[in-house]
Amino acid sequence: MRTFILRRLLFAIPTLIGISIITFVIVRLAPGDPIRLFTFGSRATNEDIEALRHLYGLDQPLPIQYLDWMLKLVHGDFGQSFIYHTDAAALFIQYIPNTLQLAVVALTIQLLVGVPLGVIAALKRGTWVDGFIRVFGVAGHAVPAFWLGLVLILFFAVQLKWLPSQGILTVGKDPWDFLDRLKHMLLPAYVLSLTGIANYSRLLRTETLEVLSQDFVRTAHAKGLNERTVMFVHALRNALIPVVTALGGILAGLIGGALVIEQVFSWPGIGRFTFAAAIAKDYPVIQAGVMISALLLVVSYILRDIAYAVVDPRIGVK
Amino acid sequence: MSHPRTGRALIAALAASMLVATACAGGTPSASAAPSTAATATAAASEKPQQGGRIVEGTISDIATMQPVLVNDTASGRITGLIYDGLVQQDAKTGEVKPKLASYTTSTDGLTYTFTINDKANWSDGKPIIAQDWLTAVTAVGKSATTVRKSTFQDVVGFNDLCAPASSQCKATASTISGVTIDPASPKKFSVKMTKVSCPAILDLGGATASPMPTQVFGKYLTATSKAADFDTAPENTNPTVFSGPFKFKEWRKGDQVILSKNDAYWQGSPNVDEYVYKVVANSTAITTGLKTGELTFGSIVAKDLADMQTVDSVKITKYQSLGYTFIGWNTASPTAVGLADKRVRQALAYGIDMDAVIKAVVFGEATKQVSHHVPVQWAYPSVALEAYKYDKAKADQLLKDAGWIKGADGILAKDGKKFNLTIATNSGNTERETLAQVAADQYKQLGINAVSKPEAFQGLVTKLTTGDQTLEATIIGWSLGGDPDPYQIWHSSQIPDPAKNVTGFGFTYFKDAALDKSIEQGRNPTDGNCSTAARKANYETFNKILNENQPYNFGYSNNVLAVSQKTLQNFAPASFSTIYNVHEWWIKK
Repeated sequence: MRTFILRRLLFAIPTLIGISIITFVIVRLAPGDPIRLFTFGSRATNEDIEALRHLYGLDQPLPIQYLDWMLKLVHGDFGQSFIYHTDAAALFIQYIPNTLQLAVVALTIQLLVGVPLGVIAALKRGTWVDGFIRVFGVAGHAVPAFWLGLVLILFFAVQLKWLPSQGILTVGKDPWDFLDRLKHMLLPAYVLSLTGIANYSRLLRTETLEVLSQDFVRTAHAKGLNERTVMFVHALRNALIPVVTALGGILAGLIGGALVIEQVFSWPGIGRFTFAAAIAKDYPVIQAGVMISALLLVVSYILRDIAYAVVDPRIGVK
Repeated sequence: MSHPRTGRALIAALAASMLVATACAGGTPSASAAPSTAATATAAASEKPQQGGRIVEGTISDIATMQPVLVNDTASGRITGLIYDGLVQQDAKTGEVKPKLASYTTSTDGLTYTFTINDKANWSDGKPIIAQDWLTAVTAVGKSATTVRKSTFQDVVGFNDLCAPASSQCKATASTISGVTIDPASPKKFSVKMTKVSCPAILDLGGATASPMPTQVFGKYLTATSKAADFDTAPENTNPTVFSGPFKFKEWRKGDQVILSKNDAYWQGSPNVDEYVYKVVANSTAITTGLKTGELTFGSIVAKDLADMQTVDSVKITKYQSLGYTFIGWNTASPTAVGLADKRVRQALAYGIDMDAVIKAVVFGEATKQVSHHVPVQWAYPSVALEAYKYDKAKADQLLKDAGWIKGADGILAKDGKKFNLTIATNSGNTERETLAQVAADQYKQLGINAVSKPEAFQGLVTKLTTGDQTLEATIIGWSLGGDPDPYQIWHSSQIPDPAKNVTGFGFTYFKDAALDKSIEQGRNPTDGNCSTAARKANYETFNKILNENQPYNFGYSNNVLAVSQKTLQNFAPASFSTIYNVHEWWIKK
């Protein structure tokens, strides 16, 4: 197991270097000069602007800038934000818990709703229940998240005043007030989970149908096992394998989705923060954000591979 | 992304700085605004203020710092304005400079300012606010590597000896500023000597961006051996501990809210409310929603949401003209749109667009047509009549014809075999400006100009404008005019970008006029030393007349600020130059 993990981690290094180069280049290829941007409208002189560019190392050739960044990076230094004048990584990391709690709740909803829906659809195949679930699945994919978010805000916050319209906590509430936090999370987590619910229910339906038609299930039936044991012990465990595969990429999906959701619900997470940094051309923060997200993603894929082994007895780990 | 906005790109200049490009359609307009004398007086003026409660201001940008020396955005400027007081302030309605933390006098030669800090003024830790604290702030500007405000103090005698790193301005040879003298008899009294008369200086020296800084906190980062980074990355810049303003910093939940609590020791009296929360939301829609649900106490909405807001009983809407304008800047030196070099063509472009109709289409009528640089609420706005450029297509056609532009068989104007093509650029994601560019292009097409609109990323546009990129023919952006009406940075010929000489600046129309330069110089550094409003106003009349006639910009329009507050909020009376000037008097009716 240890060699397996180590090897995976080793493979992650070239991936991360590749990502670092792509990020670095894309960030700098986008039009506009960050120093010109944040001094626009100020009384900074041309000389002030050159001095700032020198201070941030932006007057160096790109390869030197990149090497400099990497050199600092291996020492854990992501550089200082142009805007905040503080450590870029520390800034970004502050926003992770906010996105993560939203993602975890959304993921929980996805699994708790999506998996049973898929199984039910498979078991009731061809009935109106199956049809309803499938239509629901298509709708989950088709409805744009930002639109649904706005509609839900209008209905539940503005009209009914049952739920808050935005933010993570009521102003003035204690950060540990979980009930208040949950109230704020309900709408964004629901919208964020919608695509996942659709995905999982469809995936589970297909997989369950396939597994149910396999020999070992027939054998299990033949052995005289009851329906429930066949379903949950034999069939479902196998049907869940592709769900685990999908889970590995879920972080990417949730972070991507969170960017939109965070904007609609004014959720102070990494999506909104990184977006703002991109607009402001705050290079160190964008780079730190992408690298940390990439690292998290790589870790999540490694965890997925380990989870495979646990779920599927056929996959061994050396 | 559903709402690409320019968020933090909303770069601001505060009281002492001069101008700002408002990049964002949905941006909460900054504190600067002009009154339309909408009924802002509250019925509760005679009532006794109730204590307690919380003000929640809705905004779309998080702050970046709480250090006035480093502030370069509207959001951060709001918070530093609530926790630190400046020596002087501008009258909220007229912009006239008035004492705040200090009273001041000017010497007869106009070269020396003497400030006396109010006896009652103490820091929140009980220590008196003294002259040294102002010197600490100015020293910080001199030593900081990341401030953009060194040029603000360049005319203070001795500042350039102190400021670092060495440059054409800074010598970095002294550890004190020779032109600043603290009265030996009173630590609260000091004088500042200038190298030349500079009319905007009083706001540079005494405005919010030069607020005294607690020496007991920041002194240790500004010793003779301190490095620039010591101050620039001081923890108290983002976690301040001692205050001079009506509120004290409590907590900054990044990306979400800044929480301030009242400063009981405030020299003008403790605020009535307990807390002031600066709540960051995603966009203008979220501000409108938050005001409707009552989650926000006040905020500014965009024009498209006004009709909706007018149906809400629980809020009060205060309208006033903003201290800025949105314009189309013509590149009079464009090698591709050569017609723009001719004054008659630019005048035709003014007559040929129905700006009143545009205002209706673009901002639902919530703006005023603008034909000069200064806006009506500024004292520098000319009293003399200016050409109003009322929509007159026939006149526009005639002017184009006079200038030699004749319609070809395809209906497109041409001169010397060259067609009149015109690309109007603006920052993408800003719906208001994109619509304006579209409508303008449509109207100019009717004149026979092959006009197209071209949205571009604001980030790239800014670089092109300031560095002299000649591919831009016409550009729609906006200025937010700061405290002093000095237009030097936008209109003086020294500010015209010239890549060959490595000169950059905001003079991206390339319009140059000796009389214009002179009027700007005389309004800024008068040779007779006369900084009176009347004398300066005369210069700005000449200045605005030249611009009005020559039309290097189509001056576009000046938006109304639409401030919305809960009816429970009392004494809230935002005006032209400030929203929070009387925040310690606000109270919430229960």
